[in-house]
Amino acid sequence: MTASTLASPRPSNTCARKEAGLGSAILWETRKLRAQLRSRALLVGTLLAPVAVVLVVGAQSRPPKDSLFGRFSTENGFAMSLLVLGFASQWILPLVTAIVAGDAFASEDQHGTWKTVLTRSVSRSRLFWAKVLVSVVFGLVALVVLAAATIGASLLIVGRQPLTGLSGQLIEPGAALGLVAASWATMAPPLIAFTCLALLFSVWSRNAAVGIAAPVVIGMVMQLVGSLGGIEAIRPYLLTTPFEAWHGLLAEPRFTGPILDGVLSSAVWSGASLVAAFLVLRHRDITGG
Amino acid sequence: MTLTTDADPAVDVVGVTKRYGPLVAVDDVSLRVAPGEVYGILGPNGAGKTTLLRMLFGLIRPDSGTIAVFGRSWSRDDVRTLDGVAGFIESPKFYPYLTGRQNLEGLRLLDGSGLPDRLEEVLDVVDLTGREDDKVGGYSYGMRQRLGVAASLLRSPRLLVLDEPANGLDPGGIRDMRALVKRLADGGLTVLLSSHHMDEVEEICDNVTIMNRGSVAFHGTIDDLRAMAPDPGHLLRTGDDRQAVAIGRARHPGVVVEPAPDGGLVATGSERDLSAYVADLVRAEVPLLAFTPTRTPLEALFFMLTDARPDDVRLRGKEAVR
Ligand SMILES: Nc1ncnc2c1ncn2[C@@H]1O[C@H](COP(=O)(O)OP(=O)(O)OP(=O)(O)O)[C@@H](O)[C@H]1O
Ligand SMILES: [Mg+2]
Repeated sequence: MTASTLASPRPSNTCARKEAGLGSAILWETRKLRAQLRSRALLVGTLLAPVAVVLVVGAQSRPPKDSLFGRFSTENGFAMSLLVLGFASQWILPLVTAIVAGDAFASEDQHGTWKTVLTRSVSRSRLFWAKVLVSVVFGLVALVVLAAATIGASLLIVGRQPLTGLSGQLIEPGAALGLVAASWATMAPPLIAFTCLALLFSVWSRNAAVGIAAPVVIGMVMQLVGSLGGIEAIRPYLLTTPFEAWHGLLAEPRFTGPILDGVLSSAVWSGASLVAAFLVLRHRDITGG
Repeated sequence: MTLTTDADPAVDVVGVTKRYGPLVAVDDVSLRVAPGEVYGILGPNGAGKTTLLRMLFGLIRPDSGTIAVFGRSWSRDDVRTLDGVAGFIESPKFYPYLTGRQNLEGLRLLDGSGLPDRLEEVLDVVDLTGREDDKVGGYSYGMRQRLGVAASLLRSPRLLVLDEPANGLDPGGIRDMRALVKRLADGGLTVLLSSHHMDEVEEICDNVTIMNRGSVAFHGTIDDLRAMAPDPGHLLRTGDDRQAVAIGRARHPGVVVEPAPDGGLVATGSERDLSAYVADLVRAEVPLLAFTPTRTPLEALFFMLTDARPDDVRLRGKEAVR
């Protein structure tokens, strides 16, 4: 170590100092995310996996008749996109978003870096919101990539024929594209809610594996509960119900009530998860690292 | 925002206590570090040094008591308490998938605005120039420790807080680290460092607080400490221990000669008395095989303060703080 003039016993610029704002914290979180192999691989996966699925399903001699839109999927690109959508909403979307969100806080524990960042000039709450925003945006980007890749591959590989709706009505290709895109867009609210759930588990468990697996398992359990009979009272509160709200868009007449309910329940789930996560982080003693 | 003045102590800890369940990790500790001072917190493993420094950084909350840094406190000023403060707790940690430079650039983002860009300069100070574009995951322990120092200096601190900075370094690394701390202190930086090596504290600190099991066992200057130090003990190996003991008892009341726990004898006394005693042994033709100091006096004092009779030592420490 060589000579130094770094000590500044009384820096003249003390008054000009400002603590780090939310923008700086977001920039920092984004940089870390971009540098991680995991997040890049995930985006590449959401781009390529739908293409592979469309190729494989499209090549089947007998279409998957039991699934919604399965019957027409091998001869209609719009039906194919909706088949993949139904499949993705089972557990793939919660998993995709949880891979980043479930790690967002726990990775600081894993690397012991809480003390590194919290001894700078950024408050816990700024860092918290930066992580939340970056995780949510990443989840939405992954959704957009997945949707675009699925719709693009389906239309290119299977084709753009008029779509038969859920009430048997025929939907022209132009209108069908809009409805398919809108159907994918209805995934956003529950996706955000699953992101927030993953963030909560990440903060609370301090363990990335739990942060990633817990939302997926919870999603599967809710799916199972939702498929049981006699649970109409709790169905609106399940986080998996909004994943099916798009069905109304493809019925005749169209109905959007479930979508609005889904937005509401997703908002409640998101808000509750974030408040809990914030309180845990806020009051936590950083003793590790 | 609070205005800070030069009259504010750099660090003012008043009656701070932290419990982990039934265990009192830090027990009613008070200490005050004046600006420009190099202050040591000394204590054996588990004394509560790290816990105290974590509270200073706001990483953990004290159960009671207050901590002010340049007149600012966490309860009132939140993260602005750390304006002008830098350092690290235990071994510094970084993001292994980022390079040294990326880590520092990121931390600079979190430092807010209004700081000069000293990235190249600090890399040079800690001798990491040339390795800054390697991933930190591939750094050795010593390199990470140096990156920790670089990350701290990046904040152009007025107060540097280091928790056992030499821990885990090789002898050369320890020497460099101590030299760097001294140089920074000479430049006017206030330094608060913890250690469990008396010699480290003796070498670089002006003032010291010795902690033991959460409490203050001693508080004062290094000179105060020296004045309290016991006479040095010496390990004595002779060809005839019986006669050596007899000579000591008969003719040297100022020297206590006792069998050492693992063979040989231990002679304790002032330097003058000891040399007279040894001269006598030689005159009496007692074969003298070895005569070596057991511990430096300060080390002996450190063990005395932290091992033996912690209760009455604790009392003395509290008086010293007042
Ligand atoms: N997170 C924790 N949970 C429970 N007890 C803790 C925790 N952190 C520290 N302690 C206890 O508090 C006491 C003080 O620990 P601390 O790490 O502050 O000591 P130290 O002086 O830094 O020791 P060392 O020289 O080993 O670093 C110890 O008894 C320790 O076991
Ligand atoms: Mg320690």
